[in-house]
Amino acid sequence: MSAPLRDGTTYREAVAAALADGWSFAGLHATRSGDVPAVRTLLVSRSGDVCLESVEAGNGSVPTIVDLAPAAGWDEREARDLYGIAFDGHEPLRPLVDHDVPLEHFATSVRGRDAYQVAVGPIHAGVIESGHFRFHVVGDRILHVDARLFHKHRGIERACEGLPLAYGVRTLARACAGCWVTNAVAYAHACEQLLGQQPTPEVARARTILLELERVWNTLNDIGAMCAGVGLAAGNNRFLALTDEARSLNALLTGHRFLFGSVAVGGSDLGLDVHATAAARETLTRIRRGSSRAWRELLFNGSFMDRMSDIGVVDAETARSLGVVGPAARAAGLLEDVRETSPLLAYEGFETAALRRQVGDVQARLEQRALELLPCLDILDRLLSGPVRPAANEHGGPESPIGVGRVESPRGATACVVERDGDRIARLRLRTGSYANWPAVASAAADNLLPDFPLINKSFELCYACVDR
Amino acid sequence: MLTLLRDLRKLRGATALSAPDRGRSLALRHVDCGSCNGCEHELTLASGPTVDMARFGLGIVASPRHADVLLVTGPVTTRMREALLIAYAAMPEPRRVAALGDCALGVDVLGSDDQIVGPVESVLPVDLRIPGCPPTPDAIAAALLALVDATTTARR
Repeated sequence: MSAPLRDGTTYREAVAAALADGWSFAGLHATRSGDVPAVRTLLVSRSGDVCLESVEAGNGSVPTIVDLAPAAGWDEREARDLYGIAFDGHEPLRPLVDHDVPLEHFATSVRGRDAYQVAVGPIHAGVIESGHFRFHVVGDRILHVDARLFHKHRGIERACEGLPLAYGVRTLARACAGCWVTNAVAYAHACEQLLGQQPTPEVARARTILLELERVWNTLNDIGAMCAGVGLAAGNNRFLALTDEARSLNALLTGHRFLFGSVAVGGSDLGLDVHATAAARETLTRIRRGSSRAWRELLFNGSFMDRMSDIGVVDAETARSLGVVGPAARAAGLLEDVRETSPLLAYEGFETAALRRQVGDVQARLEQRALELLPCLDILDRLLSGPVRPAANEHGGPESPIGVGRVESPRGATACVVERDGDRIARLRLRTGSYANWPAVASAAADNLLPDFPLINKSFELCYACVDR
Repeated sequence: MLTLLRDLRKLRGATALSAPDRGRSLALRHVDCGSCNGCEHELTLASGPTVDMARFGLGIVASPRHADVLLVTGPVTTRMREALLIAYAAMPEPRRVAALGDCALGVDVLGSDDQIVGPVESVLPVDLRIPGCPPTPDAIAAALLALVDATTTARR
């Protein structure tokens, strides 16, 4: 893939034309093209094609596209904070990653009678990642939330620059334990596009197994977290035990409970003999039985389900405009799943799971997760029907200066763009499903009660780690 | 609900959990200083039904003011340093600091130098080191129990 530099006007026209054509925004990052600073926008079509529109930022500024694609809001703020690019027309361009500015610049100003602020974090009361929330409330009702994340910013993208392509996966994927495999596979796909490699069906199968193993434990964990969110200890503990079982299976198959180190650029090292795959299928059957039984209990528990409906609503229109992805988008009726358009992975015949009640509230997001667990276990059962052997990619395709990988994480579409400098990384951008969805959490919370926020937040169950990087 | 409770009781039977014979306890406060969330996931499971460290008197508390031990994860980002110091200052004495996971120990840290302060011991005095990437729930509970034992022995 290449991306010729456009000037500001034609860049905006190109993005607007693509969006009008049904393409959607999938990421934006600041970079350099030769000696010239530049900004690239990643667009994706409904059939999964990707395209980069690049604009030169020679004088340090480019036109904004946030009016065309509100989903670009965080990306533009990040590009300003980390790379000093100004976005003409993005008003106010509030800081996002930069913590060295006073909070007033960051938080939305709210004035009026009885409005006050509730500050939460960065340290939270449970075992939760660090991040700051500023609630503007009247009584118990939330007017607006500003999420000030990036307390965990480790500069992982910068740390990858200059690394050989094959080594980048180790640094990049460790951005997040919950999405390790997704991030690693997205990176591997991007690098393989750079190098003109094509994953063989055996490599695709191994990676798909790993991706779905990651989805299993995440989904169980997320359902448990919702129980914790309303203080239903029995449900939380049951799903915690199932999560533990799934992670123990990961360790049995790959030597690591979070599957660290199981994905590489250029092929797959995963080797599972018939005993290992048989044991895995047996464990997964047990997990299926246990989770279905526990889910039924939750479903018929009135005091639990009564807390879920009609709060934290993100309807289809809001979801599309904010660029929501993953189970949260599907729960609102946007039936998009990268697994439907992933020729590099073994998802033949995959169909996006659709709820009957697609209203985008907390209940829909919970039910969407439970609904998606079963096809995920089916895929694993199919792919683990025989031994898995290490395999290498096919070589010899055309090489390219920029590579893009897109993979469905447990929280939605994750995109990784890698720009090369010879056989090293020149610039890399990781935009995870969590990054795409954070603005929706704030939108979902507005007009709800403050005590419902933990539950609304948990219904998205987004990572802070792979957003902050 | 009864089904859930019955399943949990069966699970406890299978994992043979029993409470220790003498009373002791530690109140723990967790502070994430830039982890990948792996240590948090495993720490949550250490309080889950299979390891259930609460039966040894090891519980997570909501505030550093109630805590005996500060459990710190992550390589300590520049942005979390101040929050970590404030949490530590809020703790009553005697207090202990545990560095949880390889990043907190400064081992194999991935990131840019200008965004990372350094291992927990470069910010606070560390009493307990729990290695692993991430340490398993069993390892976390075992290390914390060793800290209780050491403290109890020292007091005798």
